[in-house]
Amino acid sequence: MAEEQESVLQLLPSSAAGGEGLTDVSPETATPEPPSSAAVSPGTEEPAGDTKKKIDILLKAVGDTPIMKTKKWAVERTRTIQGLIDFIKKFLKLVASEQLFIYVNQSFAPSPDQEVGTLYECFGSDGKLVLHYCKSQAWG
Amino acid sequence: MTDDKDVLRDVWFGRIPTCFTLYQDEITEREAEPYYLLLPRVSYLTLVTDKVKKHFQKVMRQEDISEIWFEYEGTPLKWHYPIGLLFDLLASSSALPWNITVHFKSFPEKDLLHCPSKDVIEAHFMSCMKEADALKHKSQVINEMQKKDHKQLWMGLQNDRFDQFWAINRKLMEYPAEENGFRYIPFRIYQTTTERPFIQKLFRPVAADGQLHTLGDLLKEVCPSAIAPEDGEKKNQVMIHGIEPMLETPLQWLSEHLSYPDNFLHISIIPQPTD
Repeated sequence: MAEEQESVLQLLPSSAAGGEGLTDVSPETATPEPPSSAAVSPGTEEPAGDTKKKIDILLKAVGDTPIMKTKKWAVERTRTIQGLIDFIKKFLKLVASEQLFIYVNQSFAPSPDQEVGTLYECFGSDGKLVLHYCKSQAWG
Repeated sequence: MTDDKDVLRDVWFGRIPTCFTLYQDEITEREAEPYYLLLPRVSYLTLVTDKVKKHFQKVMRQEDISEIWFEYEGTPLKWHYPIGLLFDLLASSSALPWNITVHFKSFPEKDLLHCPSKDVIEAHFMSCMKEADALKHKSQVINEMQKKDHKQLWMGLQNDRFDQFWAINRKLMEYPAEENGFRYIPFRIYQTTTERPFIQKLFRPVAADGQLHTLGDLLKEVCPSAIAPEDGEKKNQVMIHGIEPMLETPLQWLSEHLSYPDNFLHISIIPQPTD
């Protein structure tokens, strides 16, 4: 069950050192997310461009998969799909053994080692990459 | 055209003579002989190495066996990359046979995806095909197919059945009469010299003036370092299926005839051999 959280759309770089994982940049949150380097942070309103190191991702839930309170995220281009899956699972408090599938264009599930930057280049529109996530296989 | 159809067959039936040797630190009950096999260039390692696995497991104890993985000169081989791509990228300048080392321990989690069953290979393969069609036809052609057509594509690959595969795949190679080619060309360019896994971008097969874009046009646009300057020395080979197509080749033609079964052009940029 996803916890209720304040979704604060600020870009606050995490000051704490840490391992991998993604930033919880909301200072109001009650969720003890592990602080880490800001590879993923809540979305900004900047226009996306070729030279930006981060790209905007919009996450949409499919079926009865829990909905993320914060849907728009700025993600480093080199972040992989697996990294994104791990992040969403942590954010939604899914157990490690639960599966999560991510789809592009509501048609294909990219390989876990695919970089989001490449997907954005090829399948992004209106300055963002829309990804659907689901606990079961939605589009085969 | 007869010649072009021959190209499809030559690509499909390409083979790489390979020698599989068990890693020396694996624990065996008796000596493990190397195993020789002709690997299909267009397939995937974990799809075609059941016999290799059986051969080595015969000399090992059950408790010493976990997931099989392959390595060439210290580099773990990604099973989800086509075999021909792996060979061209990593071993094409070395003498045959391709010497691959087989492991059953210490799976390199950081480098390889797990492959617990053939279903995983099928899912990966179908996903690549869907991605390719998203680029070529906005997914219209693949989405119009029935489930049994998708199954036939997979079964054709799995059972090395050229006719079975191409009966369906030919539909993915068509384009509207009023166009001169696909919407975008599905391609990936690999180099061992960079950090990035591969280059993949949107690229149209036809220019605004109706001219067909060539392989050279693609490289100039997305990987200019791959081609030598006009009067410079040729530093790299641009390789697909073990050959160097002329840079003047229309990209649309390459996409229709030299794609892998997943409908992607997997292109290797490798240093020019110095012999």
